[in-house]
Amino acid sequence: MPTLELAGVNSGYGGKQVLHGITFKAQEPAIYVVLGPNGAGKTTLFRTIAGILEPYSGQVLFDGEDLTRSKEGRKRINYLSHYNAIPEEMTVQHALDFYAKIEGGKAEDAISLLELDGLRDKKISDLSQGQKKRVSIAKVFLTERDLYLLDEPTSNVDPVVSKEIRDILLRLSRERIVLYSSHNLYEARDVGTNLILVKNGTIGYYGRISDIRSKEYRVGFRTSMDISKMVDARMEGGYYVMTFATPEEAGLALKKLVENGVIVTEMRELDNPLQSLFETSESEAS
Amino acid sequence: MIIVKRSVSLSKAYLIIGGVLTLVGLLFLSLSGLVSPPTTGVPAQGASRNSAEAVPFLAVSFQALAAFLFCTPVLMLFVYDKNNGVLEYLLSLGMNQRDIYRQYLKAALILAAALVSFDVVIDVIVGLVEGTARLTLEISVLVAVFALSAVSLGTLLMMSFSSLQRQRMGSNQPLGMTLGAVVVLPSYFLPLVFPSLAFWIDLFLAGVIAGLSLLTFSLSSRLIKREKLLP
Repeated sequence: MPTLELAGVNSGYGGKQVLHGITFKAQEPAIYVVLGPNGAGKTTLFRTIAGILEPYSGQVLFDGEDLTRSKEGRKRINYLSHYNAIPEEMTVQHALDFYAKIEGGKAEDAISLLELDGLRDKKISDLSQGQKKRVSIAKVFLTERDLYLLDEPTSNVDPVVSKEIRDILLRLSRERIVLYSSHNLYEARDVGTNLILVKNGTIGYYGRISDIRSKEYRVGFRTSMDISKMVDARMEGGYYVMTFATPEEAGLALKKLVENGVIVTEMRELDNPLQSLFETSESEAS
Repeated sequence: MIIVKRSVSLSKAYLIIGGVLTLVGLLFLSLSGLVSPPTTGVPAQGASRNSAEAVPFLAVSFQALAAFLFCTPVLMLFVYDKNNGVLEYLLSLGMNQRDIYRQYLKAALILAAALVSFDVVIDVIVGLVEGTARLTLEISVLVAVFALSAVSLGTLLMMSFSSLQRQRMGSNQPLGMTLGAVVVLPSYFLPLVFPSLAFWIDLFLAGVIAGLSLLTFSLSSRLIKREKLLP
């Protein structure tokens, strides 16, 4: 089982310290979503783990190997920067051949995985932002490594490609550790099993996403009849919306509706538990 | 070689300018040879030489500057790669700042060496035609040493200054380029002021420049922090 451990990591850019005593241990293969407001230190965290920035103090250990000192250890990492990092004067084919020479792997495999066949002879500079991102992601999948650090991999890409990327990551995460930053809280909830919330350069929360509890649960029901006189519900966007203190209360409300002969065609949680956590950290950061 | 190819594809204007300056250097070499052809760059002991006879040595300055301009696209590529995240990617592979500098410096020297080789061949042909083979051979040696030293220093200074700046986009890069060109300046007038010592002056200047570039390179890891290579 791969283990990534950060112990008291202080890091930043020259005299500007961004990360303060970051400590966490990822010891199971999974997708760890890194969330945080702009400027919280997510990119700095990725750069420090990737060995791009040398921490002022503390250790970054992967399977017990100090990544800040070991070139061999870094060969076990695939890092996707926030920037595309592709030479714009090259064609897609040349760019992936160029990276395959450095990283290993076959450009053809990456082209087929990210469905870049139609773009292979186009210059990178002629591509849209979303297409450039796809090429940039393709270079990360040239080889399979033990640790994936992906800084906003789905920004600028369309929903179809975004889903494909998530599917690839889900597959990889069965045996590997994937750190994944995103601003999309719904995507984070869907894809991630663990959450690392970065707040002012510190860890605001680290744990399973399923363990995050909301202060209240807003649940929407689509039903066969008007239920507003039966329960305390109001119509919002096609749903009868009820607010509960716990998920169990929502279950009891559903039971009551069914017992009263109401056909419930859909029931869904309207808010994302990550939302309130994120909003709290954002307001504290500002 | 990939950096060389990418640099050449990035800008051809500097290659043309470098080529033109090489021809200017060649002109000085051939014209002065026709007017007053000295036989050697190092006069016999006690013999003196006038300024006109030292004019061929201007070929050294022009051809060194030509080599310097010829490899400028490598520096443009460095700034470009820094800004689009390629250098960050190289750092993530485990390279340090010196490894990265070395790659771009090597590319600049390969380009400069290509031009210098051309210079040497042409200079020697001119010398054979004009009967000043020994002088042109000595000048060719000076061109090679001087040009490669100047290119090394200029390249390192440009990379250092584009990395040292607070603002992104490499706006300090011309400062490094200017300093790189300034060190070549004495070779434009000192050989004319002290014509008998022209050969030794150029050789001394080349040595100083080579020393400075070695010093800059050896200090690069300490002077330039990794974060300065990030976009």
